[in-house]
Order: sequence, then C-alpha cells, then structure tokens
Amino acid sequence: MSVLEFTDIHRSYGNGVEVLSGVSFAVEQGQVVGLLGRNGVGKTTLINIAMGMLHAQRGSVRVLDLDPEKDPVAMKSRVGFVSEDQVLPPAMRVKQVIGLHRDLYPDWDAELEAHLRQRFSFSDRARVKTLSKGQARQLALLCAVAHRPELLILDEPAGGLDPAARREFLETSIDLLSDGGTSILFSSHYMTDVERMADRIVLLHDRQVLIDAGLDTLRESYAVAVLPAEAGILVGDIAASEACLRIRESRGALRAVFRGDVEETRALLEAKLGVQGASVAQAPLEELFVELLGGSS
Amino acid sequence: MQLQINPGDELPIYRQIMRQITDAIVGGRMKPGDKLASHRELAAQLVIAPLTVKKAYDELENEGLIHTQRGRGTFISDEPPVLRPAEARERLRDAAHRLLTQARLSGVPYDDVTELLEEIWEDMEP
Repeated sequence: MSVLEFTDIHRSYGNGVEVLSGVSFAVEQGQVVGLLGRNGVGKTTLINIAMGMLHAQRGSVRVLDLDPEKDPVAMKSRVGFVSEDQVLPPAMRVKQVIGLHRDLYPDWDAELEAHLRQRFSFSDRARVKTLSKGQARQLALLCAVAHRPELLILDEPAGGLDPAARREFLETSIDLLSDGGTSILFSSHYMTDVERMADRIVLLHDRQVLIDAGLDTLRESYAVAVLPAEAGILVGDIAASEACLRIRESRGALRAVFRGDVEETRALLEAKLGVQGASVAQAPLEELFVELLGGSS
Repeated sequence: MQLQINPGDELPIYRQIMRQITDAIVGGRMKPGDKLASHRELAAQLVIAPLTVKKAYDELENEGLIHTQRGRGTFISDEPPVLRPAEARERLRDAAHRLLTQARLSGVPYDDVTELLEEIWEDMEP
C-alpha cells in the first residue's frame, strides 16, 4: 500500500518558472525513501505540496489516502514533519512546546516522549530561543514522532547540525523504524546518512524524476566509467547508447555513468563502443550524485 | 563479534555486513551455533536501517551460512555450505585478481605473494 503518492505534479514559481514538471512516485508502506537532488531542484516544494502547504497547479497528491489540502487535520494527525527551517515559538519553554503537541495528538506515546526527553537531555524549563540548533531540531523531532506517525517527512533534517547531533537524529529515526509501522520520506545532502537510512532513492533533476531505484540497485547496477579523453572517443556515440545516463568532460577526462554493473559496462564500452583503457567501478552514492549532477546547475 | 561499516565505501552496506560475517566464519572467529545480533540490535549498533540488516541476513541465509529459528534468533549454521565447484572457482578468481593487481601495483614479487598465502593458510588451520 502506498502511504504517499505523487501523480504528475506540476508547480511553477510566481514568476512563471516551472520547478516541477510531471513528478510522479509513491512511497510504499515501510519504505525509507531518500529524496535527492541539487539545491533549488524542488525537493522542498514537493515536500510542501505533500504537507498541504503548497498547491500543485496540476497533478495530485495523496497522503495516507487523504488529500492534504482537503483533510489537513486528519492527515497531520498521522504524519510527522521536521524541516531545516522549522521555527518553534522562541519564547516558549521546552515543556510547553511538548505539552502543546501532546494535546494535539490523541495517539501521543508518553513512554516514547519520556525516552526521547531522557536521550536528548534538554531542560524542561529552557526557552526555545536558548536551545542550540541541534537541541531545537531534536525538540522538533520529538514533537514529530511521539505520536508514532505512519509517515515521517523530513526536509533536510540534518542541515546545519554537527556530526554528533546528526548521528543522534539518525539513531532516533532508526529506533522508530525498528519499532515498525513507520515509513519515511527524507531529503538530505548528506549522502552517507542516506546510505545508512534509505532503501530507495528518488533523484530529482531538471524538474523531473531522473532516477527512482532501490539504493542497493543503484549502487550495484550502475557504474561510473572514466575514459581517457585523448583516445579519439566519440562522445556522441557513447551518449547515444541507451545505458549511458550522462557523459561529461572534466579535467581532461571523460566521465560517464552507465546503467549496468561493472562487467556489463566494461563489455559495452569495449565490444560495442570500441573504447579501450576505461576504468570502470561501482561508486558510492556521493560519487554517483556528483557524476550524475556535477556541473549541471 | 563487533561489526563495522563505512557508508562511503564502494561496497553497499549490506555487502559489507555479509563480507565481515563470512570472514568471521571462515577465520573461525564465529563458530557453528553462535548467535548473531538481532536486526534491531545490529541496526541500532551500526546506525543503519533495520531493512539493511535484514537484507544482509537474508542473503547469508540463502547462501546457507546462517539460519533463523523463529522466536529464538539467527545462528551460524552447523555445516558450511558447499558452493558448486565452478562458482567457487569463479569467486576465487575475482579475489585472486584483486590480490595480484594489488601486488603488482605495490611492486611485490610473485614469490612473496605465494609465501604470504601460505602463511595465512597456516594461520587458518584449526
């Protein structure tokens, strides 16, 4: 069952520039989907559409089979949301902020709240404005998860946090996943965090979904090839090959990403395209991201 | 046994887990009947998604290296699985290829490589 479904989403900025053009994908129950893409590609716009905070000019979104614009209250009671630029009332005390959320959600889990309060160890009496960035994000996370949402939506949740705070954030999300029943959609620029958390990747580029694949599929069924630029290689021939997602010249070498594992890619390059001396390798997510999107904005 | 993963590695995390457990079995650090950490424990320990642990365990179970007993946990299997000889040889060829490439790159002569192999082989003898 899908817990979140985007169908043919179109959205333009006020100045008429289109930011999303026909984006479709669904998050299935229990999945952890990493939403990736360069800055400004529309990740936050898409997330805001899911949260009912922005309207899609065309297309539809269903969250837990609800329309977030028509049923915002029903939807939000079953969803948790944390974003990088979330603002909690600065003058409120920690205890008040938590109390406010507790009252909002009938399914609030007091035990989970107590557990997280202990883990995060911020003082009940502290005012929000005196919290560090990491503590404020932890407070936001506590408020977003203590009602055990069926779907957790995180927009660059680790943005601006130090590595230790990021790790604590991850640990909390992972405990929640282990408890079962939660699906997660999260955007992030920290590729190692994505490798730790996600089982599926949706990569946005140029207003659309460029890649939608299992993380391990992406890691094992895509290869990066570095070709000597001087070998008289016809870039056009390689780019025209169906398996080639991208080819570009960078610092005197041609770099290309292929759909296919290392052996398949090597065979394709040597046998079909007549390229010798290419170095072909599986790449971690960070490298794939750079090879696919580097120099493109 | 303590596992370690590196999310920026060339190998996906579930493969890193598989490799370390396989190495531990072959190296005698884990013995038949030894219990593995639960999905939840290992996910919390390594700070990775529980599904990734499940995937690593599922693959190891398919290979016959470990087995799960409902409600009791996951254990190292009694009998090491037997690969088809052709498959075993193919895997070994990959590993040998990596080893010899490394040797050439570092300028280590072939005789030193075989000496090293003998040394390691003897260390592995139970």
